[in-house]
Amino acid sequence: MYKFLMSTVVAGTMALATNVYAACGSISMADMNWPSATLMANVDKIILEEGYGCEIEMVAGATTTTFASMNEKGQPDVAAELWINAVREPLFAAMDEGRLHSAREMPITDLGEGWWVPDYVLAKNPDLKTVLDILERPDLFPAKEDPSKGEFIGCPAGWGCQLSNINLFRAFKMEDKGWILIDPGSQAGLDASMAKAVQRGDNWFGYYWAPTAPIGKFNMKLVPFGVPFAGAENWDGCIAKAEQDCADPKPSAWTKSEVHTIVTTNFKESAGADAMGYFAKRIFPGPIMNKMLVYMEDNQANGPDAAVEFLIEYEDVWTPWVSADIAKKVKASL
Amino acid sequence: MDWLAEFPSLGKRDLRDLKKGIDGSFREWSRSNGDAIEAFFDPLYFFLVWLEKLLIATPWPIILALVAGLAYLGSRSWKLALGSVVSFMLIGYFGMWKDMMATISLISVSTLICIAVGIPIGILMSRYDRVQGAITPVLDLMQTIPIFVYLLPVVMLLGIGRVPGLIAVCVYALPPIIRLTNLGIRLVDKEILEAADAFGSSYRQKLFSVQIPLALPNIFAGVNQTIMMALAMVVIASMIGVKGLGMPVLQAVQNQYLTLGLMNGLAIVALAIIFDRVSQRYGQRLQAHRYGKEHE
Repeated sequence: MYKFLMSTVVAGTMALATNVYAACGSISMADMNWPSATLMANVDKIILEEGYGCEIEMVAGATTTTFASMNEKGQPDVAAELWINAVREPLFAAMDEGRLHSAREMPITDLGEGWWVPDYVLAKNPDLKTVLDILERPDLFPAKEDPSKGEFIGCPAGWGCQLSNINLFRAFKMEDKGWILIDPGSQAGLDASMAKAVQRGDNWFGYYWAPTAPIGKFNMKLVPFGVPFAGAENWDGCIAKAEQDCADPKPSAWTKSEVHTIVTTNFKESAGADAMGYFAKRIFPGPIMNKMLVYMEDNQANGPDAAVEFLIEYEDVWTPWVSADIAKKVKASL
Repeated sequence: MDWLAEFPSLGKRDLRDLKKGIDGSFREWSRSNGDAIEAFFDPLYFFLVWLEKLLIATPWPIILALVAGLAYLGSRSWKLALGSVVSFMLIGYFGMWKDMMATISLISVSTLICIAVGIPIGILMSRYDRVQGAITPVLDLMQTIPIFVYLLPVVMLLGIGRVPGLIAVCVYALPPIIRLTNLGIRLVDKEILEAADAFGSSYRQKLFSVQIPLALPNIFAGVNQTIMMALAMVVIASMIGVKGLGMPVLQAVQNQYLTLGLMNGLAIVALAIIFDRVSQRYGQRLQAHRYGKEHE
């Protein structure tokens, strides 16, 4: 009812509307073209609109295009899930100049790329704690082509991660330890190989990334590498390059993917400390994000539907992000 | 008038439940039968692996000699045999030998399977109109259905790799040989068949001594088309993890490696031209008697 009244007011007189929304102002928000980002943006939209009285307009976007627009024009004001590896240098320059701000580093936990196994593999073999442990047991992941060897499913041909996987495969001397590297050919192939193994209860060891629906659906567990990240020089100068340009790869944990919630100065000033405080506390636990992605896939839910579902189902996750008063307002609107 | 503008459809929720239900029952079915089906295809899988390893392990001069020999036997043309050897040497020289062997093993096994399955079906179709009526729409479906629609269920059932790749190739490459076998037999002159009947030949005698020999040029055109279509599927098969010339093409497309893509693409084209010319010449030779030349 509140929302209905508000929209009537907006439609009636813009002048009045500006007064009503003076608490926060009119904000544009990037609605990125992948599921976790659109879910986050829509959750933010509901909470900022209902709780903080902002007026929010969603703008469709993708990483580089949205960032370019934020950097050049200061629009949209908020990018909920910006993977900064692709835009690192201009972003840090803009942050130094005070045009853009990071409202939250890592808004989703357990996010990033790495090597995964289904949860039952770890449950059945409690001695497998790290990738180093798994590498000693190729017998647990027999390859069909040659059952005496272990099978590691790498990254599809042509993706950037294909090179990193090939070089890590070399760095960990996996061939000598009795492993073969399988190229799944495409994401469909990679997904299907994981789905097939988990549905049959077979062991599976391979590359994937989170937050994604398959990780949530099949209860995949990210295995710590058991070695530290061996430095940017090793990663960017060798692991991430083609095999012939990487003569001596060193074993390393996967490079950290950095994700930030980025806002413009306009948002920081007009929305105020309250809204910035909301972003500072807003962290989606990875497992819950994965479950939401499964929900979105299963029900073919779009961002707004999934946001409502999240706010209803996971109240205990989001209520600590806001004050009791605001939580009440948001709940009333659902 | 709203009902006119909006097409009557199953509700969103019902549609979702329907899709989920079908997906769920397929998953159940694949979970309980997957192992058995996989075991059924195992001999094929190990044959493919064996053939690929054999081709890779065979010293290259022997492969080149075989290529020259087969090309000459098929086409009786020194030029073609020489051209085949030169293209194989070039492909090998540019570092694509192993990938080429993997592709050849997949193509030859799938062509053999298509011939073994396709010719009998074609014969059945030519004998019974009702079978023709039933199978023709299936062939249309096989040739037009988007590949990933059936590829994903197959991969869920059999995993990634050679066997699902082989199935994908066969689904696409099988129709021409069935169609052309059927057509060839149906096109055999009625008067010749009457003559055969007049001599009191049985169906079997008629089929093997009259119809099939006379239909051979058409059947061979079918074999030729099957090989061509199998080669066209090499890149698609790579998308579900089949090794071969398709894999570098995929990599090249994703990364804009123009030269890598072009080299592997041209290697596929070279294989296609060799297979095509040799099998066409062979088909033409089978036809030679029609133009008054001695049948070899």
